[in-house]
Amino acid sequence: MQFTVNGQTREAEVEPDMPLLWVLRDELGLTGTKYGCGVAQCGACTVHVDGLAVRSCQLPAGAAEGAEIVTIEGLGTPDAPHAVQQAWIEAQVAQCGYCQSGQIMQAAWLLKSNPTPTDEEIDAVMSGNLCRCGTYPRIRAAVHAAATKLREA
Amino acid sequence: MRLLRLLPLVVLAGAALAEGPGGLTVPAFADGSVSEAEGLEAWARIEAVLTHPRCVNCHVESGAPPMWSGPEFETAVPHGMNIQGGESRIGAELLPCQSCHVTSTLPNEVPHAAPHAGMDWRLAPPEFVWFDVPGPAICTQLRDPERNGGRDGPALIEHITHDAEEQGFITWGLDPGAGREPAPGDLQAHLDDTAAWVAAGMPCPE
Amino acid sequence: MGRVRTITRRTLLVGSAAIAGGVAFGAYRLLTDPANPLRDDLGAGEAALTPWVKITGEGITLITPHTDLGQGAYHMQAALIAEEMDLALGQFTVDPGPPAPAYYNTAMGGEMAPFRSNDDRFRAEAARHVFAGITKLIGLMGTGGSSSVPDSFDKLRQAGATARETLKAAAAQVHGLAVADLATEAGAVILPDGTRVPYTGLAGAAAAIAPVTDVPLRDPSEWRLIGQPMQRLDIVAKSTGTQAYGIDLRLEGMVHAAVRTNPRRGDGMRRFDAEAARAMPGVIEVVEVTGGIAVVANNTWRAFRAVEAIEIDWADAPYPAEQADHWAAVEAAFDPDFLDATWRADGDVVTALGGAEVIEAEYRAPYVAHQPLEPLNAVALVTDEAVDIWVSHQFQSFVARQVAGVTGHSADQVRYHQQYAGGSFGHRLEWDNVRLCAEIANAMRGTPVKLTYTREEDFAQDYPRQIGMARGRGAVADGRVQALDLSVANVSPMRSQVSRMGLSAPGPDLQIAAGGWNQPFAIPHFRYRAYAVPGLAPVSSWRSVGASSQGFFASAFLDELIHAAGADPLEERLRLCDWDLARGVLESVADMSDWGTDPGPGRGRGLAFVESFGVPVAEVVEVTATEAGIRIDRVHVAVDVGTVVDPVTFENQVQGGVVWGLGHAMNCQITYAGGVAQQSNYHAHAGMRLNQCPEIFVRNVGAALGAKGVGEPPVPPAAPALAAAIFDATGQRLREMPFDKHVRFV
Repeated sequence: MQFTVNGQTREAEVEPDMPLLWVLRDELGLTGTKYGCGVAQCGACTVHVDGLAVRSCQLPAGAAEGAEIVTIEGLGTPDAPHAVQQAWIEAQVAQCGYCQSGQIMQAAWLLKSNPTPTDEEIDAVMSGNLCRCGTYPRIRAAVHAAATKLREA
Repeated sequence: MRLLRLLPLVVLAGAALAEGPGGLTVPAFADGSVSEAEGLEAWARIEAVLTHPRCVNCHVESGAPPMWSGPEFETAVPHGMNIQGGESRIGAELLPCQSCHVTSTLPNEVPHAAPHAGMDWRLAPPEFVWFDVPGPAICTQLRDPERNGGRDGPALIEHITHDAEEQGFITWGLDPGAGREPAPGDLQAHLDDTAAWVAAGMPCPE
Repeated sequence: MGRVRTITRRTLLVGSAAIAGGVAFGAYRLLTDPANPLRDDLGAGEAALTPWVKITGEGITLITPHTDLGQGAYHMQAALIAEEMDLALGQFTVDPGPPAPAYYNTAMGGEMAPFRSNDDRFRAEAARHVFAGITKLIGLMGTGGSSSVPDSFDKLRQAGATARETLKAAAAQVHGLAVADLATEAGAVILPDGTRVPYTGLAGAAAAIAPVTDVPLRDPSEWRLIGQPMQRLDIVAKSTGTQAYGIDLRLEGMVHAAVRTNPRRGDGMRRFDAEAARAMPGVIEVVEVTGGIAVVANNTWRAFRAVEAIEIDWADAPYPAEQADHWAAVEAAFDPDFLDATWRADGDVVTALGGAEVIEAEYRAPYVAHQPLEPLNAVALVTDEAVDIWVSHQFQSFVARQVAGVTGHSADQVRYHQQYAGGSFGHRLEWDNVRLCAEIANAMRGTPVKLTYTREEDFAQDYPRQIGMARGRGAVADGRVQALDLSVANVSPMRSQVSRMGLSAPGPDLQIAAGGWNQPFAIPHFRYRAYAVPGLAPVSSWRSVGASSQGFFASAFLDELIHAAGADPLEERLRLCDWDLARGVLESVADMSDWGTDPGPGRGRGLAFVESFGVPVAEVVEVTATEAGIRIDRVHVAVDVGTVVDPVTFENQVQGGVVWGLGHAMNCQITYAGGVAQQSNYHAHAGMRLNQCPEIFVRNVGAALGAKGVGEPPVPPAAPALAAAIFDATGQRLREMPFDKHVRFV
């Protein structure tokens, strides 16, 4: 099966019902996308598929074939972080950090679809992403900061 | 906003074609062949389906969240994660249903995963509120084209066969998989009951 | 395990004798420093100045033995060394180091000593040192009990200072100068002419001289790093998906395992049928393991699917199958036969309640799961000669012994590679994932095996927070609280936990009373009795351990008495307070929250104070009763940890502790049906979500001496402060967690 991940064409021999998450992590070695719950309860596996933030644990490989997939590794890098990642670094959001790939991917989608979100809109879009460490106050602040960065960019 | 479109992965089993749309056989009732009493009996079975949590949990009023129920919860509780269907009924205004509920005809096998169907996941239109609505009121609602999507009797029957073809939400509700409690009966029985009820003149309990 | 038991017995004899004889420091002095583990494998040109610093020609490595569970431990430890060593952030790498007795955790033992934190009599101080000494003797290297900062604060600065002065001495020798003429800055010794000699160039010379010890620590006014906002060493990696956790490890030729063990925690499988699983795609092997069965496959998901396809008939639970019987066992434990200890008996509570109108209330706290977001995992490679194990664990020094016990190697043939953890909250104090991975890899010698738990298996095998109840009786008079008699019955987390390490924990369990018996309130008649409930589900340390439930019981019942007395919750606590640090946080939180002003219609404010791990914390929660349910608007937190090492991480930890305390009090419990935990994933055990998160304001009073940890202390006051706020807004008393059994939350 062929996948378009972070602008590259990648091959993997997988069953059509294998969730995209496990194609990314175990077959393609892209471990920035995390397994947390496997049932769309935590959001740690969030990636962009054809521009929408989706839970890759729910998306069968067969449905992801041919789509444009972007993972946390494709959003930005330590040397050239995306504006949302930069905001996350400056606000020092992470504690354990395990949920933050998913939080960042969800926030990046939010700000693309809504460049000036209110607190209520952030609460609606980001509440599917669980953080067991409780970094929520910093996540809220970082989303607002990233919105400002993107507007000024 | 661009919404994800996922192609159904498994074309419905070929055997279904011989039987009719969606693998169902639409019963043909001669005019006057179903009495009102028989129609009410059929309605009682339809009501058991329509008031089941698998159905009512997504038939909620405008502004209300979808609901969850199951053995872990004593009563139905609002869908977790602060989910709102919005006026679009697909979450388009905030968090799209498709962020988690993919469109796929693969079987639902993982307990507590976001369920999926062959149609894009959505709430029923807000005029079709069933949650916390008594069965008889749902009955009068269902036969009123103003409140049922402009459908007459045959259209209600076709609504079911169309759902079977697409592996939509009626199909899912009767066979939700992954250990979820299904609405009672199967799709063919539900179709038979609906056809009988229509043939009886859509009688509703007092 | 015979050797471990011997050591333990001797340890306890030493400890007990020391307490009885009043020679606490003597016992401590009996010990000599364990061998420096970094001396053994040093290459030519390398110098080990202390066990916490390693310098080569290539670079500087700071050894940070306390596990990073997300609390920023690696950064904190490195910053303390770098402060005295005059290193800039970015001039060194960080390594968790090999597990070794030299990394003993003196602070964790200290907090195990059963004396109130305001009790500074000789006996209390002496006992703290004995307990610390016990820890040292065991060679325990652990992370827990909010101990990383207090354990490290002096020790690591001393290590940095020793390193700095030894490097200066080496430079003085090499360049023929006096040490007094040398300075240090940003990783280099500065000669009088301004020449910078990098530390890395002095490694060989420093190795050849005796280390300079007894270096005085710098005055806080000279600190460059401590107390200043710093960019955490791991923050860029954790914001770009490049931080590798244990679950992300990939080795050449590695296979993937999934496991199912008895969800009833009993003997294991009566029967199983793995025929279907063996035929599934990608399956390499099916391995019977202790308590269950594992599937090894060429992909994690394929292993998950196959292990779920095995039909298994499980043995019965060694505890009651149904939740109602668990509660019945807790109720039955309020009996002299189960009295663990009377922790406090001030005045004469029996007489005081005899003639009074008695106020009574009963409280409940359920089992709650840990469930950090990174599921349990481990990677192991077993060969005939050695075992390598990659895992994140909070008891680092026990890992090798646990693994060796499984594979038949000796402990020194086991190499333990500490991994970054995606959260823990006490979850990574347990051994199942370590032992099971070693078992599977032992069955597949020569092949590296990664074991990953499904979230469902992780829930099923979680050793939850202790279940418990409290019964309070009290009396008030003249607008004051006069008598408080609180009895608690809990499953003992320490006994349960230690039993799984093959050890025993004699004496009463402090944790089944912690957070309640040690209230710094001089109520004239105050009794606190703790009963240990036998025979229930195995439990473990859950962020803040005993205080997470006792803090709720004690604070909530005191609140009811204060209300009955017609007094103000803050004023009455201040009147009763007999510890200056507690008074400080109460006054501080009152100031932050405008305590005493009208909160407005439909709104309420609640106050709670709990001390845990030696840290006093006061919290005020503000709520609004809306049509959609209770909304938590704001939380004010005043703590006193003394010196804060990193204010950013400090604030983040306190906020996270409040979220943890509130979220689980709102909506989390583990209940058993048929002997199995009914909650199998986050849909039924969610904790707090972003939309429910209040604004959280944090202040450190800073009057305490030294530097204390803050990972756990903000947790216990959150639940009782929330309950008090809901009472203030609605008049409804909440006496049972989770609160959503009784009220709705937005």
